[in-house]
Amino acid sequence: MRYHRPTSIGDAVAIAQDASGTCRFLAGGTDVLVQLRADLVTPDDLIDIKHLPGMRDISRAGDGWRIGAAVTGAEMSENADLKREWPGVVEAMDLVGSTQIQGRATLTGNLCNASPAADSVPAMVAADATVTIAGPGGERTVPVAEIPVSPGRTSLQKGEVITAVNLPARAARSADAYLRFIPRTEMDIAVVGCGINLTLDGDTITHARASLGAVAPTVLLVDAIADALIGSTLGDAALDAAAAAASAACNPIDDKRGTIEFRTRVAGVLTKRAAKIAYERARGQS
Amino acid sequence: MSGQEITLTLNGERRATPAHPGERLSAMLRERLDARDVKIGCDAGDCGACTVLVDGDPVCACLTPAHRADGRKIETVAGLLERDPLAQALEARFLKGGAAQCGICTPGMMVSATALLRQNADPTEDEIKDALGGVLCRCTGYRKILDAVHPGRDKGGDRQPDNIDPGGPGHVGEAIPRLDGRGKTRGSERFGDDVAPPGTLEIRIIRCPHDHAGFSIGDTGKFVEKTSGIVAVLTAADVPGDQDFGVIPGFRDQPVFARDTARFRGEAVAAVVGEAVCMAEFDPASFPVAWTPRPAVTDTDAATAPGAPVLHARHAGNLMCKGFVKTGDAEHALAVADIVAEGHFTSGFVEHAYIEPEAGYALPEGDGVTVHACTQAPVMDRESLAAILNLPESAVRIVPAGVGGGFGAKLDLSVQPYLALAALKTGKPVRMAYSRSESMQSTTKRHPSDIRLRIGARRDGTLSGMAFHGVFNSGAYASWGPTVANRVPVHASGPYRIGDYLAEARGIYTHGPPAGAFRGFGVPQAAIAQEALLDELAARLEIDPLEFRLKNVLENGVTTVCGQVFDQGVGIGACLRALRPAWQRERVAAANFNATASGHFRRGVGVASGWYGCGNTSLPNPSTIRCGITSKGEIVLHQGAADIGQGANTVIAQIFATALGVPVDRLRILGGDTAITPDAGKTSASRQTFVTGTAARLAGEALRAKLLARVNAARDARIDLTPEGIQIVDGSGRHSVALDPAAADDDGYVLTACETYDPPTEPLDENGQGAPYAQFGYAAHIAVIEVDTGLGTVRPLRMIAAHDVGRAINPLLIEGQVEGGIAQGLGMALMEEYLPGRTENLHDYLIPTIGDVPPIETLIIEEADAHGPYGAKGLGEHALIPTAPAILNAIRAATGLSLRRVPVTPSRLRAALKER
Repeated sequence: MRYHRPTSIGDAVAIAQDASGTCRFLAGGTDVLVQLRADLVTPDDLIDIKHLPGMRDISRAGDGWRIGAAVTGAEMSENADLKREWPGVVEAMDLVGSTQIQGRATLTGNLCNASPAADSVPAMVAADATVTIAGPGGERTVPVAEIPVSPGRTSLQKGEVITAVNLPARAARSADAYLRFIPRTEMDIAVVGCGINLTLDGDTITHARASLGAVAPTVLLVDAIADALIGSTLGDAALDAAAAAASAACNPIDDKRGTIEFRTRVAGVLTKRAAKIAYERARGQS
Repeated sequence: MSGQEITLTLNGERRATPAHPGERLSAMLRERLDARDVKIGCDAGDCGACTVLVDGDPVCACLTPAHRADGRKIETVAGLLERDPLAQALEARFLKGGAAQCGICTPGMMVSATALLRQNADPTEDEIKDALGGVLCRCTGYRKILDAVHPGRDKGGDRQPDNIDPGGPGHVGEAIPRLDGRGKTRGSERFGDDVAPPGTLEIRIIRCPHDHAGFSIGDTGKFVEKTSGIVAVLTAADVPGDQDFGVIPGFRDQPVFARDTARFRGEAVAAVVGEAVCMAEFDPASFPVAWTPRPAVTDTDAATAPGAPVLHARHAGNLMCKGFVKTGDAEHALAVADIVAEGHFTSGFVEHAYIEPEAGYALPEGDGVTVHACTQAPVMDRESLAAILNLPESAVRIVPAGVGGGFGAKLDLSVQPYLALAALKTGKPVRMAYSRSESMQSTTKRHPSDIRLRIGARRDGTLSGMAFHGVFNSGAYASWGPTVANRVPVHASGPYRIGDYLAEARGIYTHGPPAGAFRGFGVPQAAIAQEALLDELAARLEIDPLEFRLKNVLENGVTTVCGQVFDQGVGIGACLRALRPAWQRERVAAANFNATASGHFRRGVGVASGWYGCGNTSLPNPSTIRCGITSKGEIVLHQGAADIGQGANTVIAQIFATALGVPVDRLRILGGDTAITPDAGKTSASRQTFVTGTAARLAGEALRAKLLARVNAARDARIDLTPEGIQIVDGSGRHSVALDPAAADDDGYVLTACETYDPPTEPLDENGQGAPYAQFGYAAHIAVIEVDTGLGTVRPLRMIAAHDVGRAINPLLIEGQVEGGIAQGLGMALMEEYLPGRTENLHDYLIPTIGDVPPIETLIIEEADAHGPYGAKGLGEHALIPTAPAILNAIRAATGLSLRRVPVTPSRLRAALKER
């Protein structure tokens, strides 16, 4: 195993491109070290990027945000402006692991682990977030939803590394929320996750994005939930329609955490509950 | 592997060390910077035991790359306790409040709590739960930790140590802090993996990846030759003595290394010994072994089906053994009963999930070997190892390491044979620590159960007949399966009077992990069925469930299902009566909530009883305690009862000090090293306080008699330990005891005593009639829960636990046992199920976190027992038995659903709600 500490993103990309065996980028390192011990993946090359310029910065990008690849969940929670504008994204990341993990775990790492149950991913998808990718061909920007392709696999090509997550400008009277279901109180992997992002005109929902996690091989952007919510003031009929749309979109697995039927039902319940939270938050925004 | 030099500040000191690629900060701290106070539980960020502060922030050191410590300030619990007054005050609260039991999670708890308190001097309970949610504890049930973390919250109740005269002797009845507590809060206690010096040769086991497979091992000589750093390979051919081990005579069927056939996923087939640096990168897939998967039977239905593959030739139909108890005529009584409740109940494997994976260190010594490892049974380990190694027992020395939780699984051998074989083969010291997944794959589990039960009752509310048929999945090897099969029929009646009773238990071999001892030996599974049916009978008879139980409980002078009659000490009625006020109050509160609550939430209150016989079933299980007084007047107690967190080091010393008549803090206590301490038996069957405690009382009394005889003092004389020596004060004055160094024996003792106690039992006849135990302990729990019927979740709100302990030797430790037992019972009821291949870690196998355990009120009942020391009874297993049935009965009260399978996961409860 070789450990690399490149001095620029360009160098990091070059090392990864030249690597012959398994190569992993190290931001927080939490998932990489778990895989190592479990004998799942033993990388030949570890490329540390945490120290590179911009990796640890949360910064304004126009009216939106750029969150560097090595920014930790704890750092996101401490950023009051980010938390005010994207409470759903921040609370989703805050659910990734305990306090002891929050100081290391990153949004980008959670995305690249490509677990269908990753908490931050549905929130990012509902937020219409993108990622900036550095690679041999230069830089490109891709919607978050296009990164995971199947459990444990991403669409990133050899030599490519995500350098930042980008959140769009926050519209007036809009807000997001994320809820998940776990069987115990703390520290667990989502059985179902749901991200909702709403924009209102007065009390009427004009724009909506909704996503579900852990109910399909990859995160789902569910337009049917959004359609059920748009034009409504979140009355019971809209909520029921959204819940039905959520359940209809599910294609989960049966496992010890929950049966197909259970996940399908819980997706509906969480969609309602998350929509209510996002709606109340949006109404509170000027 | 090349290391890049980094520098860091560790606990205020600048240190430089190489950091290897991919290395964990936890490994670097422990192996190269001597910070063994950082404990390892999972290496996956699931348990938090390894929490350290990096620039003030708590992180899991196992998930922090070692390189990342470059230029950082690292603080561990040892450093915090040296320098931070917040941590020092926290330690005092941990000790005083009984917040540390085995101590393996304590450093992680202390570090995380210190980080919280630095930022927030007055945290709310939710803030504490948030900060400690990532640190798992399997012993305490978390409530005492919660109380200890908050500076103002330690309860200071009547029994708290603060209220004891600080000069108090720490005798029986005093809630003194555990005597070995500081090693736990400071992380200085040496657990299994803390003994070996850095750089010791390491062992890795090669394990079967299939439920059942044939295999052939390739050219190991060539493998050793071509793999750098590997010094030896061990296989079955390297076992000089008995190839198989086990705990029950006639059932020693588990191979040290499988031969030709592996019968469960995780079974050992070989071991590789190598240099530490190479073993860190060793890939087990490089070992030359070829597998031939074979058809497997993984549950008892499949294993008992016609034509099923037979695991052990001597056991046709995979029937390991049977247990049987019969009195009266159960079928007739059921036939004439006014109503009969019946059910088919099932449960899965449950994992002990102690936070310390099995670990140890061994070195060749003299003509034999010394093994330092975590264990619940040092003398049994010695006997088993001597047989495996083909050495006399005198050539095998067991020095028990600290035990980071046991709960039954550390009664069996795990790392010990591999350590001993490797030390003897290489002639060098060796070490090994199981990874979390190895620990979960290969060590014993609670038996999955499949129980069919019928109980009858008459209209007057008395029971009429009970028939119990239980099938227990023992996995691939017997372990303690025969004990389960024997114990269950004796206990399946619960602590009730049932004249017509038939109970049969069968242990069945399957291709699963060996099921063995786990807090209760099958009794918790049986209690779930029996207590559920009692509730259903009460409902049909329209009798209050608690009063229904009281109408049928055993009392003094009433015959048990084994024909045993206790004329004293039967405390179940007292337990249930003590719960009455809480029962009535909580039932009214729940009814009011349900009448007014809107939405999906429903509350319920449930009650359940339990009983448990202390000590071996109808078999000898003596304990011996030895003590001595040196010529300098020092009093030494050889205490061989393994303290696995439950508190034997404290309780046995309290009993001994009381009998001798000296303050407990004046004792020097030596541990269970087999070279110096006699056999106090195994820490199991809730026997240590009772059996070893009685031996300690007898030894203390004997030593006292010898001491008083020296000066012809009266029996009620006072012993004074003065700077000038031991003095005896009685009506005739003050006498100095002369302790002549010339009269000292080889151990330096001028006076000694050694006493053995074996509880009186009688064999069971072919109908299970006899006197299986000299004493039973009794318990009853109330669970108050809330169900979210939308999601199927169950949230326990409160538990009230009444325990008849005969005499509370140490009320603080009793509360600790009760709270910890309840947390495990709660896990069994609601979330825990081990599935081979799918839950081999602590994020897929869920145990309760600090957020899952509700407030617990413990009511201590003291119905003195004639045999126990000062009337005391055992407690460890009793604490878990009523919990799950009380929770299930509460779910029934909230929803009307009688659930027949544990754990009641949200998915299962939601499905049952929908079906209704």
